[in-house]
Amino acid sequence: MLGITKRAWSPYTAGIVVGLLQIPAFLLIGTALGTSSSYVTISANIAQFVDPSIAEIKYAANHLSGAKNWWQVALIAGIVLGAFLSSRLSGTPRWGHSPFWAKAMGAHTPARRYAMATLGGFIMVFGARIADGCTSGHGVSGIAQLAIGSFIAVTAMFAAGMITANLIYKRV
Amino acid sequence: MSVFAAILIGLAMGAIFGMALEKGRVCEGGVIVCQMQMSRHAMLKMFLSAVATGLIVLSILVGFGFAKLSPKATLFAADIVGGAILGVGIVIAGACPGTVLAQIGTGYKDAIFTFIGGLFGALAFTYMEPNILKPVLTAGSYGKLTLDQLLGVPFPAVALGFAAVIIGFLIWLEKVSPWEKEIGPNADGVPEDPVPLPAAAAGAASR
Repeated sequence: MLGITKRAWSPYTAGIVVGLLQIPAFLLIGTALGTSSSYVTISANIAQFVDPSIAEIKYAANHLSGAKNWWQVALIAGIVLGAFLSSRLSGTPRWGHSPFWAKAMGAHTPARRYAMATLGGFIMVFGARIADGCTSGHGVSGIAQLAIGSFIAVTAMFAAGMITANLIYKRV
Repeated sequence: MSVFAAILIGLAMGAIFGMALEKGRVCEGGVIVCQMQMSRHAMLKMFLSAVATGLIVLSILVGFGFAKLSPKATLFAADIVGGAILGVGIVIAGACPGTVLAQIGTGYKDAIFTFIGGLFGALAFTYMEPNILKPVLTAGSYGKLTLDQLLGVPFPAVALGFAAVIIGFLIWLEKVSPWEKEIGPNADGVPEDPVPLPAAAAGAASR
């Protein structure tokens, strides 16, 4: 079931593994799984070189240092590593961009795809920071804690996502 | 805990997280977009499995007093507006803030752009938060509101009941739409090409 050289696990197995990660998160770190606040830690630390006064913004200061913030940065670095190993061991390495995009949008040059990816990334994390969480923080962790705010945020996320996906892409 | 220990734990947990995201195939933009079009459900299945597992795990941890929950505050305006913006971004990027890193790991180049865009999104938020966004963010604030509190029932009872409902739903969903078909022959969420036309018919079509 958990074969590391398998191309895919069932989504149920994969989801259970993610859910079990709440155990070390709560017991060792004292927090729930999440990924999007690490974008603040990384970008604020880089921005500090150009604009040292960013540390005077309370929101930035809260994310610049500390074990929990760097734990999450390490977590997302670990995701890159885990996905790299997994894809190499199972023979599903990728390059460029997925053939899916050509099917969903017609001819898709790398430049056009990269522009969309940059824009989408910006909007995605900007929204996640307004909501104070993303698919992992609000979705996986917030709903598992029965937080009302997370039910609202995830509902809004899926509703807006479904409208957008049907407006801008062909059905593949 | 020292920052160094936290980083080591984070790397180890992240490696497992990343492997699960890759094996669950939510590292594919196609899987995420098709979920949002409600045509295929690999992402929802993995997501709900993680939620159900979390509900069970936290019931045990909280029920036996090993851990305390840390739910996020309920902020109606911020949750609705931010959640909606997040959903639009996920569809345009074909990634979530977590899964984009799994995309980078598998080798997708566009994911690096998504990640850099995300860093600028976080930076824009940081600069706008104190003066522009704060009034929106704090509208409709209800503090740390949870479903078990609202119902006046202990957390494990509600959580385990909710987990049972999710598991029931997933069993039904798998019957209706089996996962192996959904991820496609190349495990990238792109379905099998339709059966090619016979040569004669294809020739006629091209004329």
